[in-house]
Amino acid sequence: MTATIEPNALAIDTSSDYLSLAVAREGITVASYYERLGKRMAGEMFGVLDGLLQQAGIGLSDIDVIVAARGPGSFTGTRLGLAMARTFAQGQSCPLVGVDTLRLLAAQAEPEPGAIIHAALNSIRDEVYHAAYRWDGEILIEQAPVSVMALEDLVTSAQGNPVVFRRFLPPKKDEPEFPPELVSATLRHPHPDGALLLREGLAMYANPGQEGLPPAEPIYLKTEAFRKWKP
Amino acid sequence: METLGLALDTTFDDTSVAIIRGKRELLANVTLSQYADHAEFGGVVPERASRKHLEVINPLIAEATAKAGVKLEELDWIAVSHMPGLLGAILVGLTVAKSLAYQLGKPLIGINHIEAHPYANQLVHGELPFPLLHLVAAGGHTLLIHQTDHFEWQVVGRSVDDAAGECVDKVAKMFGHAMPGGPVVDRMAMEHSPASIRFPRPLMNDPGANFSFSGLKTAMLYYLRDNKDTLEEGPILSAFMESVVEVLAVKTLRLAKELGVAAVTLSGGLAASQRLRREFEERSKKAGIKVYVPPPGLCTDNAAMVGSLAAYRFEANRVDDLTLDGQANLLT
Repeated sequence: MTATIEPNALAIDTSSDYLSLAVAREGITVASYYERLGKRMAGEMFGVLDGLLQQAGIGLSDIDVIVAARGPGSFTGTRLGLAMARTFAQGQSCPLVGVDTLRLLAAQAEPEPGAIIHAALNSIRDEVYHAAYRWDGEILIEQAPVSVMALEDLVTSAQGNPVVFRRFLPPKKDEPEFPPELVSATLRHPHPDGALLLREGLAMYANPGQEGLPPAEPIYLKTEAFRKWKP
Repeated sequence: METLGLALDTTFDDTSVAIIRGKRELLANVTLSQYADHAEFGGVVPERASRKHLEVINPLIAEATAKAGVKLEELDWIAVSHMPGLLGAILVGLTVAKSLAYQLGKPLIGINHIEAHPYANQLVHGELPFPLLHLVAAGGHTLLIHQTDHFEWQVVGRSVDDAAGECVDKVAKMFGHAMPGGPVVDRMAMEHSPASIRFPRPLMNDPGANFSFSGLKTAMLYYLRDNKDTLEEGPILSAFMESVVEVLAVKTLRLAKELGVAAVTLSGGLAASQRLRREFEERSKKAGIKVYVPPPGLCTDNAAMVGSLAAYRFEANRVDDLTLDGQANLLT
């Protein structure tokens, strides 16, 4: 299978409680799925995939490029999607593009040429996974790599720039869904779903940059709460 | 024509891939052990094990197919151990297996890892006569399994506390040996005589089929405390191992006679013990009971035994669908 600018592609994200899948035919998303499955994910993901491919009118063997979420997020969850993606890619010798979940969050925002966009995914004890990007047209260029920081440090780091903030864990009682100290980004895409993952993955694939694509490996970041436990 | 299958096992800390033709022609059996990754922690760290499985399993599949000289498209079935074990680790192998099965349009066969252990003997010794009594001493399990036919088996005896292998590893640790300490203890048992040291034989004279090993571990703790100035590792470990193997052999062979089985099999990591194999050989000759043991390389966790059982399941059309889940425990 040769890579084309408008390939048939499959996107897989299991790094959160949501099963997120999408299928593109010739570069256009034609089927997608985004549902909170939680513990049902491992048992249901293949049935959902099969239905989605049927809906798209293509088979797995027609897929030219696979895009998968690398985390950060759930360790076990991230591994499910990557195990599926890596095995598919191995079986049909097609490229695999790994996309980190912070980039996916940032991609939800309305592009503002030259602006910095921050993406944050909350963990526990007021810590967040964070990365920052700059828009170059419709392409996101990483400005600050994925890291862990305290929420208050995110407020300082963001310096009033727009933030896409997602809760990995539900808010505590009386805790607002979106931290009022941050400036919310205007979203053009409501969810960090498979369709968005497809778009980001294919954009990275078409524009790998000088350093090439990052490895399709999981990102396991520890928040302070877990840092006492050695990986 | 004989079928071609691929089997995976990621239930604990070994990643294993096997390719098998028919029921016993092993074309490849590649296993990556994680001992070194967990050594500093004194035990297997589940999250660490799961990460390693994901890292190595696809390259291992490539290695296995290359070694076997087969292409994935030629496979007739895909098998995977889906229980019992570390759930996070199981899910890696299970997801890879499902992915292969879906991609190739071939059936998925879920395998009980404990049920698979005795099939290392079917693989090597050919069709074994039923009924059989299996001693499975593997990781956290010490089980006596009565099997009357393929897929017809039940647990008739077990350790009520520490598994035998677990006890051996813990005693090895008391003497400062890195995990897994079992092989060191076994070597000491073969090279030294127990002299006049004697450890208890827990439950050996109890008519039931259960075992108990935590008291033996405690007895060793007290022995080390009370004999600090006269410690000679060789005879002590030899005496300890003598207790373990005698209990296992006496109770297993006694039950085998009671049940009137055609033969006994040993399997699981502890079955690689030369001392255990010698004890069974001597006692089974006197009892007139045939005992089958696999080569040591097929005693520790491996995908070959998974493949062997899977081949029987495929023949009997006992296949699963892609909703198959992982299960941490042996018994629900």
